[in-house]
Amino acid sequence: MSASCEAGLSRRAFLKTTGTLGAALALDREAFGLTPMLDAHSAESSAGREKLVPTFCAMCGPSSGCGILAKVVDGKFVGIESFPECPTNDGVNCAKAHGAPQWVYSPDRLRYPLKRVGAKGEGKFQRITWDEALTIIADKLKEQKAKYGPESLGILSPARRSYSDYLYRFLITHGSPNYGHSGICGAQLTFTFLYTLGAPTSPDYDHADLMVIWGKQPIFSGASKRSVSKLVAARERGCKFVTIKPTLEPDGAVTNALWVPIRPGTDAALALAMLNIIISENLYDAAFVKDWCYGFEQLKDHVQQYTPAWAEQITGVPAVQIRDVARLYANTPRAAIDCGNGLEHSVAANDAIRAIGALMAITGHLDKPGTNVWGGGSAMPQPRGVHLRERYTQEWVDKLVGYEFPAAFQPAMEGTSASYYRIFDSVLTGEKYSIRTIIAPGSQALASTRGTRRIIEALKKLDFFVILDTTRTADMPYADVVVPISTMYEIDHPFETSGNWIMARNKVIEPLGESKSDYEFWLDLGNRMGYGADWWNGDIGKHMDWRMEPLGMTYEELRANYPKGRTYEAAPPSYQKYAAHFSSKSTRLDKGPYLPQGKVTLYSTLFEKAGLTPMPVWRELPEGPTATPALLGKYPLLLSDYHTSRSYNASWLRNVPYLREVEPYPFLHIHPGAAKQRGIADGDWVTVEGPHGSIKVKAMLYPGTRPDVVMLLHGWWQGCTELGMADLPIADGGANTNNMYTTDPEKMFDPVITAMSSQTLVEVRKA
Amino acid sequence: MAKQYGFLIDSERCVDCRACLTACKASHMVELGVSWRHVTSVWKGSYPDVSFTSHSMACNHCEEPACVKVCPVHALTKRSEDGIVVVDHAKCIGCGACGRACPYHAPQYGKDKRMQKCDLCVDRVSAGKKPVCVVTCSAGALAFGTMEELPALAGKKKVARLEGATKPSVFVPVSGA
Repeated sequence: MSASCEAGLSRRAFLKTTGTLGAALALDREAFGLTPMLDAHSAESSAGREKLVPTFCAMCGPSSGCGILAKVVDGKFVGIESFPECPTNDGVNCAKAHGAPQWVYSPDRLRYPLKRVGAKGEGKFQRITWDEALTIIADKLKEQKAKYGPESLGILSPARRSYSDYLYRFLITHGSPNYGHSGICGAQLTFTFLYTLGAPTSPDYDHADLMVIWGKQPIFSGASKRSVSKLVAARERGCKFVTIKPTLEPDGAVTNALWVPIRPGTDAALALAMLNIIISENLYDAAFVKDWCYGFEQLKDHVQQYTPAWAEQITGVPAVQIRDVARLYANTPRAAIDCGNGLEHSVAANDAIRAIGALMAITGHLDKPGTNVWGGGSAMPQPRGVHLRERYTQEWVDKLVGYEFPAAFQPAMEGTSASYYRIFDSVLTGEKYSIRTIIAPGSQALASTRGTRRIIEALKKLDFFVILDTTRTADMPYADVVVPISTMYEIDHPFETSGNWIMARNKVIEPLGESKSDYEFWLDLGNRMGYGADWWNGDIGKHMDWRMEPLGMTYEELRANYPKGRTYEAAPPSYQKYAAHFSSKSTRLDKGPYLPQGKVTLYSTLFEKAGLTPMPVWRELPEGPTATPALLGKYPLLLSDYHTSRSYNASWLRNVPYLREVEPYPFLHIHPGAAKQRGIADGDWVTVEGPHGSIKVKAMLYPGTRPDVVMLLHGWWQGCTELGMADLPIADGGANTNNMYTTDPEKMFDPVITAMSSQTLVEVRKA
Repeated sequence: MAKQYGFLIDSERCVDCRACLTACKASHMVELGVSWRHVTSVWKGSYPDVSFTSHSMACNHCEEPACVKVCPVHALTKRSEDGIVVVDHAKCIGCGACGRACPYHAPQYGKDKRMQKCDLCVDRVSAGKKPVCVVTCSAGALAFGTMEELPALAGKKKVARLEGATKPSVFVPVSGA
């Protein structure tokens, strides 16, 4: 799709007459007006000076796990080759993987530690040494710990990475519970499924006859990690597909799916109406409900109010289609639901996910072939984890500056967690106390959390701000110290695992400049803080060997003896493991089970006790067609944003020219009819204006868009030097969707899991 | 000709991820602003009954390549050993005749105005490897082989040679997209 959409459309007549596939060709170069910067054919013959290093792609950050053979010529990383022995991706790679050398050597790379010398926001820095940087950070943390208490430190979570638990370990050894989680990234799904089904499930693509893709983009999320191959194989096996999302994307197109064009953020209403139909039409699995579900009678009464006609008003999905999909799902014995991040961007996220869990359960679509299943185990001994969750106490939980998950459910899966946004709020308001230092390790708040202008104010007010990253970030002008992190191509640790397979990471090139790995940074800082006993006295080699102990070998033995990884025996698939999963113990301090009745929670006594709604309900969007109809006159379109793309990883990688060429601009998907009404042509720059802000983006006439909805990718700010593309403004006038949504704390969050709403009403006009 | 290499392009599998395109550019260090491979999505129907099919295509290494015929300086050659159409960059005068002649818009022109295009990863395939676009494809939408081998690579799916005056060395599914 991308910008070639119009070219494709305008060639349709031509395609028909010629009848050739070959005519289907878009001249991206002309459409994008790009400036060539690299010399072609500059690679000389290099066979003799070339080596291939088996290792892992790092374009989705550490722990993406896709195997590559990194091609090195004369000490320079120049490209990747297929690594078919890696079971994560079977030798295939996505578009991002091929952009790696440009990312590693980008002009945006951070190579040396920096200290701010100008005013905050000015972006003036002075180069310092690694030792100086670590001394400044350690001194400041010690000073603040003495003065304000250790909880004055907050760390902003990156996406879940193989260094995430090192962040937790540092917080625990320092004494702070304040791990700031983004509130929109996987944890919301996991938490809710744990408290509904006892454990998150996986859709069984290999055996399903019906696959419902709900708020997920399996093509762009881990394309090479078997999600695409499984989807294509299921389609060719005859599996039918339903795709529930505001726009028709490649997953729906390639599977000839029944598209349920839902308004963004309204998934809870749809799921509740599906429960209504399945229960009122007696399409549920009565035996499973009797044996393994708690609270069915309450749910039965509760969902009577959620009729398809009611849901049609909210979701925009015709009642007849809601009925059809509910019946199809309930009546197909081998049916599964593949849930994604789209479900998490709503004030009713927890409700949507609980209702979907209830759908799986009452239809008996749990842990049977072709349904939502729990994976089997592996014979592989697990390497030691670095978390120190055994040290958590009630006092620890009580100290959290603001909760991501309610206090009664802390610590949650990853550990204690504050909401990312609430950490910044505490800087501005002093509630419940002031966070004094924020460390951002691979996270950029200005591009990824709500209320950009408010975050800028918080960053200006903050005492001390440290950025650890491989690449220049949006927040950098406000940093006091910037620590350059080596890309994962420049280090030889840690190992990567995939189910029953483990392999040591190999170094492709030496670290650029004076950069080190995330892992080395935390060992170094922990040691300097005087926490050496918990940090292997800063020795990364000893640390990796300690992690490997359960496998009975050192890290270097893993590397030397299993150069292409070690495979352990996989457990054979087994099904209907209800008794085990429904009694699984929680990560809370009381270690009580997730499901107190040992059954699927249709009615939650735990939530009820915590003052939360015991059953899923519908909560309106901050702004939307049924939430704020009075706004429709001025702002008739519902805006939301995509979480994933084929070329980028959240707010990163816009600086990689080969990837930027694929998706050069912040494209706004708009229905051709809606565009025509406004005199907007494909490729026009348009202003998107709503009650909270405005952005300037490029219109892409996209026929698979709901006519009352516009969507674009989030995370836009970074330019691409090689393509002569400048940074976009981070606040108004740029393309950062965070400017568009409400920051009213009463309206922006899901009350249970602090998921952030990504919906508002807007008008679009030619810029 | 000893043999003719070509592609199987199964657009029924293409997920529009653009990995083929990026792999091609990275492997051949193609200059910015130029792409030897293109992925185009063709929409059909109208909302809400709307869908699209994505087609990934580069040079089709035709049996009777129009580009070779029109090149005034014989910069283009069809290799007798494997049918791959290659361009001699040094000979090319950048007249653009090949680009006008090719029905598939395979010839591309960069900063130096001379023609460049997919060479079917000739160095790789000569060494017994597959082209990078085929190797990287998660969906199995691209396959590589000789004209004799290609139909079998589609498995149970019925495929046919893509029709065209230049006899492109490409197989596509019969059901069409």
